Order: sequence, then structure tokens, then C-alpha cells
Amino acid sequence: MQQYLISFLIFSPLVAAFVALLLPAKHVSSFRYLTLLTNVIQILVLILMLLSYDNSKAIQFVEQQPWITLNLGTWGILKATYFVGLDGLSLPLIVLSVFILCIATISSWTVNQNVKGYFILLLILNASILGSFTALDFLLFYLFFEFMLLPMFFLIAIWGGPRREYASIKFFLYTLLGSIFILIVMIGLYISVHDPNASGVLVHTFNLLYMTEPSNFISNTILDPNNPWMIGPYNGRLWAFLLLFVGFAIKLPMVPLHTWLPDAHVEASTPISVILAALLLKIGGYGLARIALPVFPEAALYFGWLVGLMGVISIIYGALNAMSSKDLKRLIAYSSVSHMGFVLLGLASLTTEGVTGSVYQMFSHGIISAMLFLIAGVLYDRTQDRMINTYSGLSLKMKSFTTMVLIAFFASLGLPGFSGFIAEILVFLGAFRSNSATGILPESFAIIATLGLILGAAYYLWTLQRMFFGPFNVKGHISEDQIFDLNTRELCMLVPLAAATLGFGIFPQPLLAIIDPFAKYLTEFVLTTGKNLTLNL
Amino acid sequence: MPLVSFLLSFVISEKYSWIVSFTAPFLLLLGALCAAFVFFYLPADQHYLREVLWFKVSDHAISGGLFVNNLSGTMLLVVNFISFLVHVYSVGYMAGDSSIRRYFAMLGLFTFAMLVIVLADNLLLLFVGWELVGFSSYMLIGHWKEKPQAATAAKKAFIFNRIGDAGFLVGLMILWALHGSFNINDWSSPHAPTPWQTAASLCIFCGVIGKSAQFPLLSWLPDAMEGPTPVSALIHAATMVAAGVYLVIRIFNLFTPASLDIVAIVGTTTASIGALAALGQNDIKRILAYSTISQLGFMVTALGTGRPDAALLHLFTHAFFKAGLFLAAGSIIQSLHQAQQQAHTHFDVQDIRNLGGLRKKLPMVFLVFIISGSSLAGLPLFSGFLSKDAILTGIVSWAGGSVSWKWFLAAILVGVSFITVMYTFRMIWTIFFGDEKRTDGLSIIESPIVMKAPIIVLALCSLWIIISWNPFMHTRWTSPGLEHHWGVTTFSIIWVVAAFGVAYILRDKSFQARILQKGFYLDQYYQAITTNIGLKMTQLTAWIDRDCIDGLIHATAYAQVLIAHVTGWIDRALVDGTVNGLVSFVRGVGTVTRSFQDGKIQLYIFWSVFTIIIFLIWAML
Repeated sequence: MQQYLISFLIFSPLVAAFVALLLPAKHVSSFRYLTLLTNVIQILVLILMLLSYDNSKAIQFVEQQPWITLNLGTWGILKATYFVGLDGLSLPLIVLSVFILCIATISSWTVNQNVKGYFILLLILNASILGSFTALDFLLFYLFFEFMLLPMFFLIAIWGGPRREYASIKFFLYTLLGSIFILIVMIGLYISVHDPNASGVLVHTFNLLYMTEPSNFISNTILDPNNPWMIGPYNGRLWAFLLLFVGFAIKLPMVPLHTWLPDAHVEASTPISVILAALLLKIGGYGLARIALPVFPEAALYFGWLVGLMGVISIIYGALNAMSSKDLKRLIAYSSVSHMGFVLLGLASLTTEGVTGSVYQMFSHGIISAMLFLIAGVLYDRTQDRMINTYSGLSLKMKSFTTMVLIAFFASLGLPGFSGFIAEILVFLGAFRSNSATGILPESFAIIATLGLILGAAYYLWTLQRMFFGPFNVKGHISEDQIFDLNTRELCMLVPLAAATLGFGIFPQPLLAIIDPFAKYLTEFVLTTGKNLTLNL
Repeated sequence: MPLVSFLLSFVISEKYSWIVSFTAPFLLLLGALCAAFVFFYLPADQHYLREVLWFKVSDHAISGGLFVNNLSGTMLLVVNFISFLVHVYSVGYMAGDSSIRRYFAMLGLFTFAMLVIVLADNLLLLFVGWELVGFSSYMLIGHWKEKPQAATAAKKAFIFNRIGDAGFLVGLMILWALHGSFNINDWSSPHAPTPWQTAASLCIFCGVIGKSAQFPLLSWLPDAMEGPTPVSALIHAATMVAAGVYLVIRIFNLFTPASLDIVAIVGTTTASIGALAALGQNDIKRILAYSTISQLGFMVTALGTGRPDAALLHLFTHAFFKAGLFLAAGSIIQSLHQAQQQAHTHFDVQDIRNLGGLRKKLPMVFLVFIISGSSLAGLPLFSGFLSKDAILTGIVSWAGGSVSWKWFLAAILVGVSFITVMYTFRMIWTIFFGDEKRTDGLSIIESPIVMKAPIIVLALCSLWIIISWNPFMHTRWTSPGLEHHWGVTTFSIIWVVAAFGVAYILRDKSFQARILQKGFYLDQYYQAITTNIGLKMTQLTAWIDRDCIDGLIHATAYAQVLIAHVTGWIDRALVDGTVNGLVSFVRGVGTVTRSFQDGKIQLYIFWSVFTIIIFLIWAML
């Protein structure tokens, strides 16, 4: 029974979407309740899974079914399986996804235009997000990964702000470019990897676990570790790592591939921004940790400094841009860029602390960024204006809102007691120790990255000072009665998130106990395998 | 064992004390009693340690532990006691404030964070308390949110602290890379000095510079005076700024000789800047703030000269007399505010130029100012004298017999203690002696008992008795290890009396040099740096984002559209053109051939005849 739980998580929203398709579009609220019901069921299933999850084992809740088996004659057999499972990397992200999706549904309650279509797309998005976090077959992962684009594109393009067409097309093209890079690598891997358990026949497989084992590569194929072919300065495997890196970095997003993010966030409606920031960005980091690092360990060692450097650049550059933003949502979007830089820095360090911190940062940023975008949404719902300069002294009129803003801002700038602090300190410790432990990143990276902390404090406090302190005043066409405090529905969304970021900040051990074995395994695997493989340069 | 667990429960309950604001002082009293209990019943030279697992990464467990020894016991007592007094005082001072709940909550959190620093057994936990102190001081300084200056000052305080904290964090990273542990007790034995160790200690000292307002990160402290006065007392007396000094004492073994020299230089610079700037201020709270900076400089210098116990002693005495001075100043401000409201006049009550002759109207505050001020100035019979004496003794023995740059520092510090007497005297003289100025004719009532009582207690604690029975002997009953030098003591007495005389002669002179008033223009420099570099950088990145990256993307998009147009044209002109040409050719042919048979009988006959004729001609040829 356990092995079907993941499939249940993935397919229950699809079933719900199908039911929603049959319901008449007139019954607007039925779609909302149906989606919420699905979310609640998912949460219950997830709790069931958490209860039986065993920290000491590697991949659990595995389900493997034959999916595509094509006999290509002399080219061997193409084999893709429906292969899902959870480990210390995916479980935190699944927990995050299920809860954030539920909050996004609550936040979507105010959507009034074409409700049926909206919720059906939301359910499809739900399924594909959960699918890509659990898939252990590259083709399956790619399918879910690509499938996410479609509902997202329409959710921005139809229910977005004034420049929604521009933003959605930019988002779509950027991500599609990344997908193409990933597709190229996937095809290369498919050609190069065979199933070691198949007897006699050559079976090309998409199984990600097989791909991590260097002995499973067919000799003299393009991605075979021992093949001598060079393409320009590097061999095929280094190129493949770079392609994967760029592909996932677009999603992350990493500077300079990030400009789709501010536009998409500014134009997307609040729940979509929440999903985008809290979940979709994490797939970039997830992909690096799940595919790029273990499949190409020697390339990860070789290019580790580059990944770390881009992380540091993202941290500083994103923070500087956040400071110059005049739009609250844009500021938050850039702060996301800055915070996702920590994910890169931690992964690149290849120390247990660094990788653990990196996964912890993905989780914590999911909570905090969801909170930040909900906050921006609260203000936008009231006044249709997100410009920072429009407001001042909001704390006098919106007391509990200001409390939530304080929590979110200080959590985001890494105050101890909030989850972001644990994540960032671990990343810093790992990145600094990297030179003495693995020799990948120089100490200066971690030192420069601390600048990001100062800048983070600066832009958040500056915003607080401008928007919330001082005498109450609003500019433009906004009347004073438009400014009122949080209602129950908004509190229902914000309070659990605030509690979560506090809880994981004060008691990090339960989550760390899940992540840590994975981080340990990954770093040891990449270091030992990577050092055994020779670099043909 | 039950002792510390009781302590724990108090720490937790204190955080929730704001539910009813009246419970806050009571809980603090409880805390202070506990601390006193711990302090007096903990056997000397023993420590108590209690650890729980906080979290674990790979094989390194990071614990959250409480550690009590003589040192932290002393700090525990000071922090709790002064925090308790400030709580009591606040009940009077903040009465009627609309957000008193938040005020007491933050005061509680502040004390809690400070206790975390005091009791933490590892540096990471200490760092947590360290940052939380920064956060709660941000909230407290910015308590009057509707005042824009308060928000600015709060932001400045937090960011300055953050800059120092970034350094602290780097220090933590170095230690982690070196030892794989944050446990303070692991380093209890002095290590052989390595460059990394020096770097680590200096990085952590960066945090101290930020928190304890040392040069160059000192200008946030005077600005932080925008907060409520009890907060200033708490921050400037026993807690926030003292945290830096405490930290260095706590991890003193980590500091290498090279880094200690730098610490001493920073401390001396700060002491002189603070004292000189205090001389040029007119706002009563800013004078006290700069004097705090100067006194902190003294403490840090004592640390740099390898006298952590002297620094602790001064920290201890300073906590009492400075808290007393601040609370007394707050009491003046509040009394005058109330009088102003009754008389419907308005002037800046914090500007000492507007005050004068208040000794008759506020006799109690006057007395407190005399006692605590004398202690600050370091007059004999007061606690400040003894602790400064200890510091000076330490410096003299540090500088050694030969003349070196160390004597230069010592000379500066002696000069600074001279200036200390002068600014203290000037402040007291202007406020309490002479003729009444703007306050003339106002009916001034002294503060209520809840405010008076703490002030009196603090003033009493500024007497010599708090340290030792002998008013000229600083070897204290709790830490007898401090050396004592009668020569230095005699010199200090003469020196201070001389300074007192000079101050009396110069009593009506004011020191209005702009450089002193502006605190050596440090703020202007920072402003210039942030606007010139910081804002330029943000503009630069915004430009890169908008014009370079997005520009490139738009350019490729346009290029693509252009190519699409070109291919579209090719499609239309060439491919379609060929096809269309073919079509029209075929159509033309078709039209011609169709015209052969368009249903007209005459035409058919014509064509038939024509064909037959042609055929006949061909056949005939």
C-alpha cells in the first residue's frame, strides 16, 4: 500500500481536474472547494507518509512500473519506467509543495474570472510539481518538468497584470531554452547509459540511479567517462554538465539568467507568484542536486568554483537590484534571486554543511518567499498599487499586517530564530570550509557573500522605514478607507507560514535529520566518484 | 541542578510576560533574585554547564547549552538587576503609551537575548543572542514609529550592527574550519598563535566594534537616543554595548598578541573620539551617549592590554552609574515635558543650553547626577574611580619600562580621563547651577516613586562600597587577582582633582567646534560612502539588468522578429513568388486552353475547321 502513496499524491489533483472539467462552469465555488479538498487530502496522505518515513534509509516509497519499452532492433531497447521515490532531498520539498499549494488555493479564493479554467490549471500544476520532485526516471522528470510550463504560462497570461503577455512569453521562452539544454543532455545520457540488469540485450535506460554509476556508461559513447573525444576545450561530459547547469540555473534563477523572474512576478497574481517563488524556483536547485552533481561528479568538482562564483554574484547582484527596486513585488523577486544564490553556493561547496544548508535554504525560502508575496498581495488587493513610495506609516493603520511584515522581513534577512538563519549559516560554514575540506571554493567566496547579509538588512529596513514607519500617508488616488487590517482568510494563510519559519528556525533538528543523510551521501559520492574519474583535458 | 532549570523556566516565561504589562517587572524581579541566588551560591572557581542538542550536521553536534561561572554569574546579576530597575522605571516613564505591550515585550526579548549571550556555552548560540539583541534594540529604538528620526536611527543601529555581525560571522566560519566546533570551553587552553587564529579573533572583534560602538562604527549610538530614555539606559548601561566587551572577556584565550594590540589601538581611538565629541554636544542624551562610547573605549583598551578583569570591573561600575545617569536624565525630560504641557510652552528640553538652576526644583535628580556623574568622572570615593584605576594600572604595567608606542596610548587615555571630568562637570553645571533659563516660571514636579526608586538604587550602587570596603583599593572581594599600584592611585587622585579645578575654571566656556558637535564628521563620511558607492552600485546593477541583460534579450527577440520578417519576405517573394508565378503561368496556359472550349458552337466550328486546314496543309506537305 505504501508504494502507491506517491502516485496518489501526484494523480489525485489530476483526477480532481477531470472532475472539475465535468462540472458546470456556473457553480463557481464548487471548483474552489474541490481544489481545497484535494489539497487537504494530499496533506493527510503526506502526514501518513511522514509518520512512516525512516531517516536512516535512502530512497523510500519507491514505485516502479514499466512505462515505455520500445524495441529498436539493432539500436537496442528504449526503456523508460514510471519510477518515483522520496529521499532526504525530495521529502522536504514535497512537504513544502503540498502545504504551499494549499495556501495558494486559499489565496486564490478571490479569483473571479473564468474560475473553472483557473482551478483546473492549478490542479494540473499541482500534479506536475509533485511529479517532478519525486520522479527518478529522467524522461518522467522531464515530462513533469515541461508540463509545469503550460499551466504556468496560461495562469500568468490570462490572470496576470497589465503587462502579462510580455511577462508570460518571456517566462515561457526563457524556461523553454533551459528545457532544450536539459533535453540535449537527456538524449546524450539515453544514448550512453545502459541497464546493467538486462541480460544479453542492450537496454538504453532513463533511470537516474543507473546514470550516476560510471560503470553503466557504454564505452565509446558521447558521455562515457573514458572516451577521449573533445568538443572544443572540454569533453562531452563537461559540456553536458554545463548545459544542465545553465538549464537549471535559468529556473533557479541565477544571474545573469534571471530577468524573467521580476517580470513574471510583477505581472502574476498573488497565488501564482507564491507558487512560482516558493516551488518552481526550487526545481532548479533540485535538478542540480538530483541530476547534475551525481551524474557528472568529476565535472561538478571541475566546475564547482564556477557554480559557487555564480552563487556569490547572484547573492550580491540580486541584493543590489532589490535595493534599487521601487515596486514592492519586484524587490521581493530580486531578494529571491539573492537568496537562491545561497543554494548554489552551498551545493558548490560539496561539504555536508553546505549541501544541507542549501536544501534547508530551499525549504526555508519556500516558506518565507510565500509569505512575502502574500504580503505584497494583501496590499495590492486593497489599493491596486505596489509602489513603495506611495505609502508611509502603514503600521499605524494595519497593526497585525505590520507584525506579519516584520516577521517576514526579518526572517528573510536571516535573523536567528527564523529558518533562514539556520540555512544561511550552514551554507556559510560549508562554503568557508570547502577550501580546506574539498579544495573547491576559495575562502573569499564565503567572505564576500556576507556582504549579501548587510545589503539584505539594508533593503528590508529601508523598505520598512519608508512604507511602515513615519506619519501615515498615502499618495495618489487611494482613499484612507481602502487601508484596513488583515481579514481572517489572510491571517489563515500568513500565521501558519510565520509559525513554520519560526518553528524551523528554533528547532531545526527534525528537518535536518531528514536532509543530513542525503547531504552526506551526496557529498561523499560526488567526491569519491569524481576523484576516481579522470578528466580528459 | 534545580537552580539552573529554574533559571531556564524564568527565561522562557519572561518572554511571554507582555500579556499583562504589570507582570513584566515582577518577572524580572524574580529573575534578578534567581541571578543573585546563582551569583552568591555558586562556589568560586567552579562552573555549571547544562547542554541540550540543538542540531546536528554530519557528525558535528551543535548544542544549546547554559554555562555559568564567576564571570557569567556576575554579568547575569548585573543584567537582571539593571533590567529589573529599568522595567520598574518604565512603568512610570511609559505610562499612557499606546503600545506599551509591545514595549514590554521587546524589553523582555532584549533581556532574554542578552541573557543568551551571557549564558551561551558556544559561539553560535551566542551569535543568536547577539543578533536578537540587535533586533530588539531596533524595535526599541524605533518604538515611536511615527517619528521619522526614530525609524532612521533604528535602521542605522541595526545596519551598523549588521556590518559588525558580518565580521563576526566570518570569524565563526574560520573557527569552524579550524576546529569544527563552536564550543567556547574547547579553547580554554591558549593555542599557539597562527595567522588564522589572529584573523578569527579580529573578525569576531569586528562584531564587537559594531555592538560596542567602537571606532569606526560608533555613530549609531548617539542617534539611538531617539528611543525612549529607559531603553537608552538599558542599551547603554549593562546590556547591548556591554555585550561586546563581555564577549571578548569570554573568549579572551582566542586573542593572539597581535590582535590584542589592534584591540588596544581601536579602544584608545574610540575613547578619545567619544570624550572629545561629548565635550561638544548640547543634547543631554547625546552627551551621555558619547560618554558611553568613550567609557567603552576604556574597557576595550583594558582588554587590549590584557586586563579582562579590569575591563569587567569597569563594565560593572559603568553599568550602574550610566544607567543612573540616563534614568535621571529621563526623569528631567519627563518632568519638564509635563511642566511644558501645563504651561503651553515649547522648547527642546533635552538641550542643556535651555536648562539651568534646576537643583532647587529637582533636588533628588540633582543628587543622583552628582553621585553618578562623579563616578563617571572618576572622582575618589566613587566606583568609577576604582575601576578606572584598575584600567590605568593595567596599562602602566602593560606599557612596561621602556618608552614605546604603548606609552603613547597610555598618555592618550590619561588625557581622556581628564576630558571626562570636564564634560561631566560641564553638563552638571549647566543643568543644575547658574540661573534658570527657559525653565523659569514653570512649575516642575518631580517624577513618581516608581521612577525615583530605581534611580536612587542605581546612584547608591555608584559608590565605592560596591567594589571594596576600601575606597582607594580596587581589589574587589569577588575577584582578588587584580594587581594594585599605589603610585597610580595617588597620581589618579591628583590628576582628577586637577581636572576638576580646570573644569571649574572653564565652566562657562562652551566648546562649540563644529567638528566636535558633528562627532568628527563620521556620519558625513558614511553618507558619502553609501551614496557614492552603495547607491551607484544599485543604479549600476539596475542598469545592467534593464539595459544589458534585458536589452540583449530584447535585441535577440527583435533580431528574431527581423529574421522572421526576412524569411517571411523570402517566403512571399521567392517561394510564394515562384509558386504564384507557376500558378499564374499555368493559369495563363489554362486560360488560353480553356478559351478553346468555352461552349460557343461557332468557336468549335472555327477551331475544327482551323485544325482540319492545318492538318490538310501538314498532310499535303
